[in-house]
Amino acid sequence: MYRASKDLQDYYEESRLNTRITVIQVLFGAVLVLYLMAFWYLQVVKADYYRKLSDNNRLRRVTLAPLRGLITDQAGHVLTNNRIAFNVRLDREKVTDLRHRLPDLSRILGTSETVLRERLAKARTRPRFEPVILKEDVDLAEAAYIESRRLELPELSVEVESRRNYLYGPLAAHVLGYVGEASEKDIKDHPELGYDLGEIIGKAGVERRYDEELKGVKGWKQAVVNSLGREIEEIDEGRRATPGHTLRLTLDLDLQRVLEQAYGDEAGSAVFLDPGSGAVLAMISRPAFDPNVFARRFSQDTWDAMDRDPRHPLQDRSSLSKFAPGSVFKVVMSIAALEEKVAGPERGDHCNGSWRFGDKVYQCWAIRKGGHGYLTMREAIIQSCNIYFYHLGNDMGIDRISKWAHLLGFGEPTHIDLPHETAGTVPDPEWKKVAVPNDPVWHPGETISVSIGQGAIEVTPLQMAVFASTIANGGTVYKPHLIRSIEVREGVEEENRQSMAVRTLHLAPRTLQVIKDAMWGVVNEDGTGVRAKIAGRDVCAKTGTAQVFKASRDVDADKLPKEKRDHAWFVGFAPRDNPQIAWAVFVQNGGHGGTTAAPIARAVLERFFQKQDARVGAPQLASASVPR
Amino acid sequence: MQARRYLDNFDWVLFFAIAFVSAVGVGVIYSATTGTPMAGAFHRQLAWLGLGFLVMLLAIVIDYHTLAEFSYVFYALALVLLALTLAFGRVVNASRSWLGVGGFQFQPSEIAKGATILLLAAYLGRERAPSSRPGLGFITFSSICGIVGLPVFLVMMQPDLGTAVTFVPLLAGATFLAGIRLRTIVILALIVALALPLAWSHLKPYQKERVKIFLEPTRDPKGSGYQLIQSLIAVGSGGVLGKGFMAGTQGQLQFLPEQHTDFIFAVLAEERGLLGSLLMLGLYFLIIYRCVITARAARDGLGVFLAMGVVCVFACQALLNIGVVVGLLPTTGVPLPLMSYGGSSLVNTLMSFGLVLNVWMRRLVN
Repeated sequence: MYRASKDLQDYYEESRLNTRITVIQVLFGAVLVLYLMAFWYLQVVKADYYRKLSDNNRLRRVTLAPLRGLITDQAGHVLTNNRIAFNVRLDREKVTDLRHRLPDLSRILGTSETVLRERLAKARTRPRFEPVILKEDVDLAEAAYIESRRLELPELSVEVESRRNYLYGPLAAHVLGYVGEASEKDIKDHPELGYDLGEIIGKAGVERRYDEELKGVKGWKQAVVNSLGREIEEIDEGRRATPGHTLRLTLDLDLQRVLEQAYGDEAGSAVFLDPGSGAVLAMISRPAFDPNVFARRFSQDTWDAMDRDPRHPLQDRSSLSKFAPGSVFKVVMSIAALEEKVAGPERGDHCNGSWRFGDKVYQCWAIRKGGHGYLTMREAIIQSCNIYFYHLGNDMGIDRISKWAHLLGFGEPTHIDLPHETAGTVPDPEWKKVAVPNDPVWHPGETISVSIGQGAIEVTPLQMAVFASTIANGGTVYKPHLIRSIEVREGVEEENRQSMAVRTLHLAPRTLQVIKDAMWGVVNEDGTGVRAKIAGRDVCAKTGTAQVFKASRDVDADKLPKEKRDHAWFVGFAPRDNPQIAWAVFVQNGGHGGTTAAPIARAVLERFFQKQDARVGAPQLASASVPR
Repeated sequence: MQARRYLDNFDWVLFFAIAFVSAVGVGVIYSATTGTPMAGAFHRQLAWLGLGFLVMLLAIVIDYHTLAEFSYVFYALALVLLALTLAFGRVVNASRSWLGVGGFQFQPSEIAKGATILLLAAYLGRERAPSSRPGLGFITFSSICGIVGLPVFLVMMQPDLGTAVTFVPLLAGATFLAGIRLRTIVILALIVALALPLAWSHLKPYQKERVKIFLEPTRDPKGSGYQLIQSLIAVGSGGVLGKGFMAGTQGQLQFLPEQHTDFIFAVLAEERGLLGSLLMLGLYFLIIYRCVITARAARDGLGVFLAMGVVCVFACQALLNIGVVVGLLPTTGVPLPLMSYGGSSLVNTLMSFGLVLNVWMRRLVN
């Protein structure tokens, strides 16, 4: 191109400019050639490789949920199974104007608009193609109504799912536990269990403790999905889900039902054990709840309400609540004194109703009638005399008391096969240093309180039942347990062969004889437990009445008259010779143990012996019912 | 008379290449968005395309010398819009980069790009004293840095790193073309060496992550690395002939992220295969080539810098985008000019090409 007004400098500059343009052009060209090669490499050389990746990408393994295993009682009566449930779902993609549709849906489903709106709001972050469950667990008639109107109601559909079913509602609720959707926390806490979000898992009780056995093995199928996980078509069946194992519990449905009925409306707990193995025959915690309500999806509100309930129905009082043992602890005191040779059974003492120790006066409950007078150990247990055990405790000292309480299973978990339990408290000087830093010194007066089962000592009803069974079987502390067998394959049950003995205390025969005889007297010699007397069955027990000591110390007692009522204990075994059953019945704020707790035990015992007689064929009469 | 001559000198090759590429873009957007929440995007893209060609016509008809005279006005206007965006803009994906007038939304950063090209060309292409030495002195260089730097700063404040990066080739290209003195290069190198560590520490965590992901793509298979892998699968599984229109599983099943914007070329490569990819690459090269030819033929410095400014911005953005799709560059979030969904970018690109067509048409001195 010719330009007239160009001098030499301009000419050079222009040629330089042209060179630079060429450089840029070549640069772009080079990158383009590089890209051509990249496309060649990806689309020709590696095409098969990426084709395979792309196929894998769109194929998704869809998990198939297995049926949860059944739970039966020891005789095979089903306690927990699964049932079919119908849910009404809304396909949001098929509704153009949801807001105007809501009144109609509310009318059809009989659910308030507010509730529907809430359920839709919860699903807002989920992909639109995912149906929203509007109404859970409708009956067959309603499901059929919706299904037959698919033309008029294209946005509604009925989903069939399996739902956990507790046949007897609140019966043994704290033992069975309940199920619920796996939370993010469950998944994080137990990565080894491979939970999926929203999967139904055991949340409490046996359901939780044996979740691995109950949950079964997930199956899977292949489906074509998009990146949002929407299933577009199913390709083939992968693997069927394997149902979970059936658990056979040690519970006896008959006894459990009798116990549930006899317990009435009281709060508290009761545990009945086979003293020969530690198997739990019946177990109750009150107030109870119906685990069926947690099987629903919209159970958060129910759960919250129960969690806030001042009566704490979710709390398992048999193993998670601890209470003062009261006079039942006098049996522990007696065993310790006899085994440590602090006293013999012939040790005599005089009760005049009160005892001054240091600057405090300790009373016996018999103070109004001027005390018990002269007593031996057997009489002191039967009469439940405080003075006798104040003196005995003072002579023995806290260290030996604490040692024997621990040996008999208090102050440590029983290791029952439930998810949680508390160890309770057996106080001693070492414990106090840690637990009460404001007042770390052990005072002799505290030993006096512990001697009659008050003060800082706290035990669970389950520990009490284990204690009763240890006396009954002659000194073996068993681990209480709930599983009798697990069905590993159809028709093949694997017995629970774990060794259940925690330790064997080599108690002197004389010790056992004295204690058993005294406990026999409590029930059979016009003692405090006379209401549990069954002719010919030689019931042995000890009552306890635990002052609500700790609760009233911090709070103004006048403001809490109801809660100030004593807790009632009734702990024992039967029959005296060759015991078949051991128990602890605990009634919170139940007043005196002999009055409220003993009749509950009696009801269960009557049924237990009735069943035993039926099994044997003829009534098995006890040999002698004469006090020794 | 003159109009007739201009029409004879019109670069129909460039024009039709642009029209063809943008039409293919609308088709790919249709395929990529059908059945997704973005369905119907191609309607909007078509409307923007119409507006773009109108603006392009304006940029062709008005003599580029006249436009250059008002370049200061356009530039100032663009800066005001960027400032307004920072104050009143709408936040999308953590960037405040959209400005709305009524129901009408646009990205002022795209408009600023065109205005900056124009002002820079006007500045560098101005008549200079014959005695002045060739190449950029420190003062001149600082001025062009300022011209480019001001909008870049405002865009980075949004913060929209992806768009800010697209201004860089403009500065680099202009500097290279004008020539730079050795002393200026030395000073510049020193400043960059000092500023680089400082800049790294000022990058947002997600921006640092992008660079790291590029170095090791399997590091985060659901994040940026996931995008890269999904893109490679889309391109590679397309093979030679492609899976067919609307039949690419990666795109149709929405495994590809940003499939109608940043990864639109991956959708094309999956559905149209190597043949489609090569055709489109060829067209992009043709467009670049025609712009360079225009620069060579320009009758004055203004024309040269205008055409080269446009081609540098366009080519770098296109190459950056396609480089990401084939896994040669880190994920930057730069859309593919002419094809990606997005009205502001499309209108600005067409306007820029209007300027290039303008320069070509008026290449002959009367």
